[in-house]
Amino acid sequence: MAKFYPVLKKLSLAGFSFFAVTFAVYYFNLDMKLTAAMEPVLEYFYDKVDRDQHL
Amino acid sequence: MSNKRIGTKNLGNVYLEGKRYRSRREWRGVVDTLYDYSRWLYNWINMFRIVLVKPRNIKAMFRYRWMANYLAVPMMVDRHTQGLRGEHLRICHAEQDVIIEDVAKLLDKLFRGDRRIGNDEEFSKKVVLVDENEMQSVMMGFPTVVPLSREIASTYIPVLLNQRAAIHYIDVAQEYGLAGDVCPMPEAEAGVSIDDDAPILGCCAVQCNTTCDGSLLSNGVISKRMEFEDGIPVFQLASPLRHTNEDVQEYAAQEIRNAIAFVEEHTGEKWDWDYYFECAKRVNYATKCRLEWLEMSKSPYPQVFGSNLALYTETNYMAISGRLPIFEKTDRKIMKLAEKAYKKKKMAANEYRHRAIVWGVQSHYYMDLLVWMLNCWGIVPLTDMLSMDNTTMIAEEDTPENREQAMYDIAMLTEKMIMRNRTHGGYKVLLDDLWEIVTEFNADMVILWEHMSCKALDGMHGMFEQRARELGINLVWVSHDLFDPRVVSRQGVRDQINTYMRTVMGEEPVDPTLEVLPDEESW
Repeated sequence: MAKFYPVLKKLSLAGFSFFAVTFAVYYFNLDMKLTAAMEPVLEYFYDKVDRDQHL
Repeated sequence: MSNKRIGTKNLGNVYLEGKRYRSRREWRGVVDTLYDYSRWLYNWINMFRIVLVKPRNIKAMFRYRWMANYLAVPMMVDRHTQGLRGEHLRICHAEQDVIIEDVAKLLDKLFRGDRRIGNDEEFSKKVVLVDENEMQSVMMGFPTVVPLSREIASTYIPVLLNQRAAIHYIDVAQEYGLAGDVCPMPEAEAGVSIDDDAPILGCCAVQCNTTCDGSLLSNGVISKRMEFEDGIPVFQLASPLRHTNEDVQEYAAQEIRNAIAFVEEHTGEKWDWDYYFECAKRVNYATKCRLEWLEMSKSPYPQVFGSNLALYTETNYMAISGRLPIFEKTDRKIMKLAEKAYKKKKMAANEYRHRAIVWGVQSHYYMDLLVWMLNCWGIVPLTDMLSMDNTTMIAEEDTPENREQAMYDIAMLTEKMIMRNRTHGGYKVLLDDLWEIVTEFNADMVILWEHMSCKALDGMHGMFEQRARELGINLVWVSHDLFDPRVVSRQGVRDQINTYMRTVMGEEPVDPTLEVLPDEESW
């Protein structure tokens, strides 16, 4: 059992870190703030696409 | 009325002037916040798993302008869950999460078959393109055929995600001389085709006559490109508009037979009766659930209402049509949650002041107005016009008689498609039925969306007013332009309700921070 203790400790720490980081991203809406910054980048590519625009 | 506060105070304080996003997500108490967080994580994982891990989908992300709107999926969920707690929050997530997964799969399949992106020719041979307003009940007997709607992916969903999603395509359509006064939904769909921004795939396509001049115009523009340039044959399913008349039903059933024969011819697949009746059972179960939710809404404790009812019904009734078992599972989950909440007499907001029926075609760029009405003014949107579609059970046992009846059932479902059921079919289904529904649901208010480009409804304006006056119903007109927030902004929509509530009703808002919101630039 003792040899599993460090592994369990590491797994718990990793799990908690994952939770802490993702919860901060969730609560402070960081995902939406990042994707809002990506929008103009994508617009740049859309304007460059060669299109056969017609009726 | 409950003494314990439901929902956060001052929900309007998280909006940021000139920004796409809000400052933070809502704190709903420990249990509900952790639940909401877990669903947020689940949705991101799903979107990565189904869409973002595949290189072809990344390629599509940089090719199709409408794909940028999918960055705002979590924001859409936040808008519709605003203020919700407990079972109501869980009902909303049960619906939204299954819809998100379904749409992610739709995108993945579109790009798999797209000649520009994945170009999987074998897969494409089994794809039948269906237009945005085509009831997928006509595909209920084809288990191996893949019905896909390019318009749902490129215009319908994006406007739910981002209020400005369709503006570029509306402008493109008008640059090419299409009229500016038609419904902006089909106009934007035509714009996508003109702008060469629609995936090209499939062995054939089925379009329907939907409901209006704009739709017919758009179908013409799109089918011309598909048939003459992309080599995709198109079947025009012309469903009768006077759908309550008995004498049109034989014609309607024949249209369905013709559509099935067309799909069989082009896919090489045969109509499978076992699969059809399996889907029919699921269609009936969905109808049964919806009827039970509507029954609850007639009581003082509605449980599945507002956008929880509207968005899910639109998807389940029209786009799913019993084909996917996961939606039956979701129906069961929602039913269980609704029954639990109903027994406990749960409320979805702190204060219910008015019971409203929402009628007309709702603003697509502001679908979450229903949640706003509840949180800001305590107006409970019990049901809406597009959720009041088919209520009859279809034949679900495989017998020789029922195989004949099935064609009439599919025709009936198609005729009662969400957008067709009330906007066409005569005076009774649009006007008379509304007042019966108001009485049945014990409502004291009608929120009447006036989609200013929808000629089918605008002609009835005076008749609605006359009858509301006679019956003493508070009728609130809410003008909008469906897909184009430049014509009436979200605040312009809210102001019409604010003005009515303050001047006619003489009331103060439940949450004053929601009355005026700086969301002009928001997704």
